[in-house]
Amino acid sequence: MRIRPLVASATAAVSAAAVLTGCGAAGGAGTDGPVTLELWSWTAEGQSVVDQWNNENPDIQVKLTDAGGGDESSQKLLTASRAGNAPDLALVEYTTLPSLIVADVPQEITDYVGDVQDAFTEGTWAQTTFDGAVFGVPQDVGPMAFVYRTDRFEELGVPVPTTWEEFRTAAAAVKEADPDAVITSLPPTEFGFFAGVATQAGGEWWSVDGDEWTVGIADEASLEVADYFEELATDGLIQTEPLLTPEYNAMVNAGTMLSWPSAVWAPSVIESVAPDTAGKWAMAPLPQWTPGDKAVAYQGGSALVVTKDSEHPEEAAKFATWLNASEEGNGLLLDTQSLYPASDEGQEMAESNDPPSLMPQQKDFYSVAADISSDTVPVTWGPDVNLAKSVFEDELGKAIKNGTPWRDAFVATQDAVVADMKETGFTVSNG
Amino acid sequence: MSTTVQAPRRRPRRWQVAPYLFTAPAVILYIAFMLVPVGYAVWLSLRAYRIEGALLGRKTDVFVGLENYAAVLTNPDFAAGFGRLAVYGIIAVPLTLGLALLFALVLDTPAARLKRFGRTAIFIPYAVPGVVAALLWGFMYLPSTSPFSYLTRAVGLGTIPFLEEPGLFGSLANIAVWGGVGFNMIIIYTSLRSIPSEIYESARLDGASETQIALRIKVPLVVPALVLTGVFSLIGTLQLYSEPATLQPMTSAISNTWVPLMTIYRDAFGTDDLPQAAAASTVLAVGTVLVSVIILRIVNRKRMGVER
Repeated sequence: MRIRPLVASATAAVSAAAVLTGCGAAGGAGTDGPVTLELWSWTAEGQSVVDQWNNENPDIQVKLTDAGGGDESSQKLLTASRAGNAPDLALVEYTTLPSLIVADVPQEITDYVGDVQDAFTEGTWAQTTFDGAVFGVPQDVGPMAFVYRTDRFEELGVPVPTTWEEFRTAAAAVKEADPDAVITSLPPTEFGFFAGVATQAGGEWWSVDGDEWTVGIADEASLEVADYFEELATDGLIQTEPLLTPEYNAMVNAGTMLSWPSAVWAPSVIESVAPDTAGKWAMAPLPQWTPGDKAVAYQGGSALVVTKDSEHPEEAAKFATWLNASEEGNGLLLDTQSLYPASDEGQEMAESNDPPSLMPQQKDFYSVAADISSDTVPVTWGPDVNLAKSVFEDELGKAIKNGTPWRDAFVATQDAVVADMKETGFTVSNG
Repeated sequence: MSTTVQAPRRRPRRWQVAPYLFTAPAVILYIAFMLVPVGYAVWLSLRAYRIEGALLGRKTDVFVGLENYAAVLTNPDFAAGFGRLAVYGIIAVPLTLGLALLFALVLDTPAARLKRFGRTAIFIPYAVPGVVAALLWGFMYLPSTSPFSYLTRAVGLGTIPFLEEPGLFGSLANIAVWGGVGFNMIIIYTSLRSIPSEIYESARLDGASETQIALRIKVPLVVPALVLTGVFSLIGTLQLYSEPATLQPMTSAISNTWVPLMTIYRDAFGTDDLPQAAAASTVLAVGTVLVSVIILRIVNRKRMGVER
C-alpha cells in the first residue's frame, strides 16, 4: 500500500498538476443542508467504503480523491494547505504526521473523538497524539514481517531465517543453489525498512526529552545495522536495485526474487505486480538481531487527519472514528481494503478472516500477524522525516555506487537532519 | 513648434487612450503571470520557515535576508547538479543541432523525395510529451524490457548499462535528441526556405555541387537560426527535469538532487522549504539569462567582426 507500482506512481505524477489546481475546500457553508467532506486517500477500494458511509449518512457526504501514495499525497496536502484549500480529511503516514503538524496542516480533534483512544493500544495511539493533543485517528499499522516464496525456499533447501545472522546464511545458500536468484533487494529508497530494522536493533532515530530532541540516525545500533547490510550487498548476497520496477516485477514473477522483508501490508503489493504467483507465498516474523527476541518495529501505517481548512471538523472526525474504530469500519478496512487495522478490535476481527489472496494456503496468516503486532517497538518520528529520507536515499545511493562505507551515509543523514532541525529552530541535544 | 501645441487640441482624447487599450491585455497578462509571480518568488526567497522553541511548534515565516542564497551557493549537491547538466549538455546540444541541421539540409535538396512525410515523421516525437517520452524510453532502457539489451544478450555481449553512470548521460541525452530534433529542424528548415532561389541558381551556374551549395551557401545563411536554436537548447538543458525525474524510480543512479531543478522541486514540495527553493530558482533564472546574453553577445560580436 505504501509503495505503488512504477506505472501507477508515474500516472499519479502526471496528474499532480491537475490535482494541485483542481481541489477546492469543502463546500456547503450552510449549517442545515447536508455537509460535504473531501477526503484524500490512496487505499484500494476506497470508493466502496465511502459509498457505504454515504448511503448510511445522507447528512454527511464524503467525496473521495486518490491524491497519490503516501509520499505524494502528503506533499500535495502540504501545498494545498498552504494555499488554503486542503481537503477536510486526509490519510497521512505516521512518519510524516509530525512534519505536517509543524507546518500547521492538521487540526486538533481531541474534543471530537471522545474516548476513541480506548480502541487502540497505547503505542499506536501515541503515533497520532502529541502533548495530549489528538491529531488523527489511526487507520492501519505495518508491523514488520518477512514475506517469502515458500516453494522456492523449499526447492533450494533453504530454511526460513529467524535471525539476521540466519538471513545471511540463507542469502548465501540461495546464491549458491541458484545463481540467478537473490533473497531480496534492499535499495536506498527503502528508508522505512532501514529505519525499522535500526529501531529493532535498539536505535532511536528521533527521541524526545522534555522540550529537546535527540537525533540518533547514526547511533551505535544503527551503524551496526548499516555495516551488516553493507556486507550483504558487497558480498553480492542481496541486490540494491529499486523495488517494483518492471525489472523487479519480472524477477518476482519468474521466482528469482525470493522474499521481501517489509511489513504485513506487503502481500497486496506483491499480488498487484505478480498475481500469478498467488499460493506460493507465506508470511513469517521478521528475522531478529538477537536470537529469542520477539519485538519488531513498524514500517508504514497511516492515520486519518482533519485539516485546518475543514469547516466541519466534527463531522470529519465522526467519519474518521467510524472508519477506524467501529466494528463496521474495521470490517471494511479488513475485507474490502485488505488493510491491517490499527485498532485492537480490527486486529481481533482479522484473526477469523481468510488470509490475503496471495497466500490462501496460509490459514494462520492473521494469527501470525496478531502475534507479531502484539510486540512492537514504539517509535518517535521527527519533524523532518522527509528531509531525512531524501538525504538518506542520496547518500546511501552514493555509498553503494562509490563503494564507500554505508555507515558514512547514516552519519551524513544524521548531520543533515540535525542541521535542518537547528536551523528551523528546534532544540536539539546533538552537538 | 506650432504643430505640437495644436495637436492635442485637434485630436480627440480617445486617440491617445487607444494604444494603451490595445496593449492593455498583453501588459496585464504579463504583469499578472510574469512580474507578480517573479516578484513573489524573490520575496519568498528572502524568508524562511522557523519555529519557536517548543517540541512541535508551528512554523511561521520570518525575514532572513540573503541566508537562503548563501545556503544555495554553498550547497555542493546543487553545484554537482550543474556539473551533470554540463556533461549532458555537451552530448545533447551538439547532437540535436547537428542532426536538425542535417535533416533540414537533406529535406531542402531538390532530389529529396517524400518531403512532407519526412518532415512530419521527424517532427512527431516533439509532439510527444516529455514525461511520456521518458517513460517510453525508460522501458527500452530497463534490462528486462529493453529490446536493445535483448539483442546484445542474444549475441553474448550482455546487458547494456543504459541506466548506470556514465551511460545514463547518453540515455538521457538520447531522449532529448529524439524529442528535440524535429522542432529545431523546422526552425532551420523554415530559415532555409526563405533563402532566395536566385542564389542557388547562380551557384549552380558557377558549377557548385549540391554538397557545396549546402556547406558554402546554406549553412552560413542559416547561422542566425542555428544561434537561436542553440540558445533554446541551452536553456532547455538548464531546465532539465522531467526526464531524470521520470526515470528516477527505475534506477538508483539518479539521486533526489541529480539536476538543479530536482533539488528545487525537492525543497519546495518534498522537504517543505519553499523559500530555499525560491532562492535556488532565482539563482537558476539569473544564471540562465546571463549565459544566454553572454552567448548572444559573443556570437553577435563575431558576426559583426566577419562583416567588417
